[in-house]
Amino acid sequence: MPAEAAQQVEALEAQAQRLMAVFTRAGYEQVAPAVIQPAGLFLDVVGESLRARTYVFTDPDGEELCLRPDLTVPTCRLHLARHPSGNVPARYCYNGSAFRYQPGGATSAHPNEFRQAGIESFAAADREADDAAVLALIVAALRETGIGRFQLRLGDLSLFGALLRALPMPARWRTRLRHHFWRPEAFRAELLRLTSQQALAPRGVPRELIDRLDPTKPADALALVEEHLERAGLELIGTRTLSEIADRLLAQAADVRERPLAAETAALLEAYAAIRAPAREAAQRVAALLRPHKLDIGEALAAFERRLTLLDGAGVDTTEAAFGAGFGRNLEYYTGFVFEIVMPQLGPRSPVAGGGRYDGLLADVGAPAPVPAVGSCIHTERLLAVLGGGEP
Amino acid sequence: MSDKLVLALPSKGRLMERCAGMLVAAGLDVVKSGAARGYKGTIAGLPDVEVNFVSAAEIAQHIKSGTAHLGITGEDLLRETIADCDERVSFLRPCGFGHADVVVAVPAAWIDVQHMADLEEMALAYRRVHGRRVRVATKYMNLTRSYFARNGVTGYRIVESLGATEGAPAAGLAELVVDITTTGATLKANGLRVLEDGVILRSQANLVSSKVAPWTDGLRALERLLVAKLSQ
Repeated sequence: MPAEAAQQVEALEAQAQRLMAVFTRAGYEQVAPAVIQPAGLFLDVVGESLRARTYVFTDPDGEELCLRPDLTVPTCRLHLARHPSGNVPARYCYNGSAFRYQPGGATSAHPNEFRQAGIESFAAADREADDAAVLALIVAALRETGIGRFQLRLGDLSLFGALLRALPMPARWRTRLRHHFWRPEAFRAELLRLTSQQALAPRGVPRELIDRLDPTKPADALALVEEHLERAGLELIGTRTLSEIADRLLAQAADVRERPLAAETAALLEAYAAIRAPAREAAQRVAALLRPHKLDIGEALAAFERRLTLLDGAGVDTTEAAFGAGFGRNLEYYTGFVFEIVMPQLGPRSPVAGGGRYDGLLADVGAPAPVPAVGSCIHTERLLAVLGGGEP
Repeated sequence: MSDKLVLALPSKGRLMERCAGMLVAAGLDVVKSGAARGYKGTIAGLPDVEVNFVSAAEIAQHIKSGTAHLGITGEDLLRETIADCDERVSFLRPCGFGHADVVVAVPAAWIDVQHMADLEEMALAYRRVHGRRVRVATKYMNLTRSYFARNGVTGYRIVESLGATEGAPAAGLAELVVDITTTGATLKANGLRVLEDGVILRSQANLVSSKVAPWTDGLRALERLLVAKLSQ
């Protein structure tokens, strides 16, 4: 090992000990989840976009395994191994390697092997309080290592969820819009589709079948679809069932009969996604946008404000924090509060820490029902680079 | 590495036969060196050309790494093997054989799924019902990923398949496939249908040149000569 690399390892180790001391003092149990993870479950949870960056391999027994691309999912698995329901309050911290293939080639700011020091809190009842506690602890840990000033970027997916619920539209449209929210182009395309009567008609699906399906009589659909397949000589193969096909055809039949989304509603959703404001002004800005439409998401906005107040109380100054309605991490699993801590010398593409709420993840990993969860991790090589004043 | 121009040609199958015909038609007389089944050869009258006979998939690797200057292989293999294909490869000439389309095919009975846009919505519902992502069987992992991403499809996972991909849905190993097809008959026989916008690539064999191979002025002149002959 070159002397430089050995020094780096020592410095990282010393830094990690300081970070972990902060976490364990706050009552987080230090855990060491497995580096090697089952590829199937892991990739099913994180999706194909992260899979393209995950080191997957086959062991001599033919088992498909992967090197963990982050420590959140392994920590979820560890929690579920202890508590199969997942719904037992627990707080964990970890420091360990994660591995990601970097398509353009690895760099020091984006290495293919890096160490994450992080925390995860499961099954806490008070979401806003727990969100604030997790972010405050990450900030405290960064301060412990010597970080003074930083930029805080915030987002909150539950505001968008509340806005969707306040707007009149079929539930399936809300699901789609929420799903596409992170991908601006897909989101815009979906809005365009929902506002056009013509685009709402399913393309290429047998029209006479769509016309015969009555969305108010779902029980009749199965027989109609079965009859159609039989007449067309189409044999159903694979794991997707007739009733799944019938359900989607029913949704398509309902879309054809639905009034398209009002153009002003689509414009409102676009305007919401574009909001960028100081965090302290965010709630007012959202409320002002919604007022002319007589829409009220006061409860969600109050929760957002309460979280800010809790953050201030916990020593995190939010006066300069930036809110972005469309701000988010590219991981699909975030469901509520999201944040990133950015250092000017590294830039917004290489945050030194990030995290958020992911209430669906434990269920995806195997819990029988969704469990509240929030977590965050520090990119320790970047942190060391900032503290050392060197290039990351 | 020698200072010769390395030409990589398919070593077996239909592709080899068609390439041999193409070289003969161009007046290039390839002589295999050593045993009849040897994997090296020369071209009569062009002592600075070294011919390597390797599999079509290996040709893509050689072009990618630059260990071959020129090669003839399928565009599907090149684009699958080389993520930054256009940076590393010059497509000099389509050969007019080795046609194969890389397509997205779903069970024909999925009458609600006709376009790529339907896939994402279907995948969302599938995951709710089955508790796991919809699986795509393919040997074209990279082509699949980039095409699905371009079309906004994210809710799937790839199951790598190295043979008889078209049988994966019926066997319950995957829900849909990305596979090659020439006439579509095999897909149809397996109860599958290509999506309306499901053609990822219309592939055929191509004469290509590696941009990362060790080129010299002399070798470039040789390349021009070979390409001119092969383009007649």
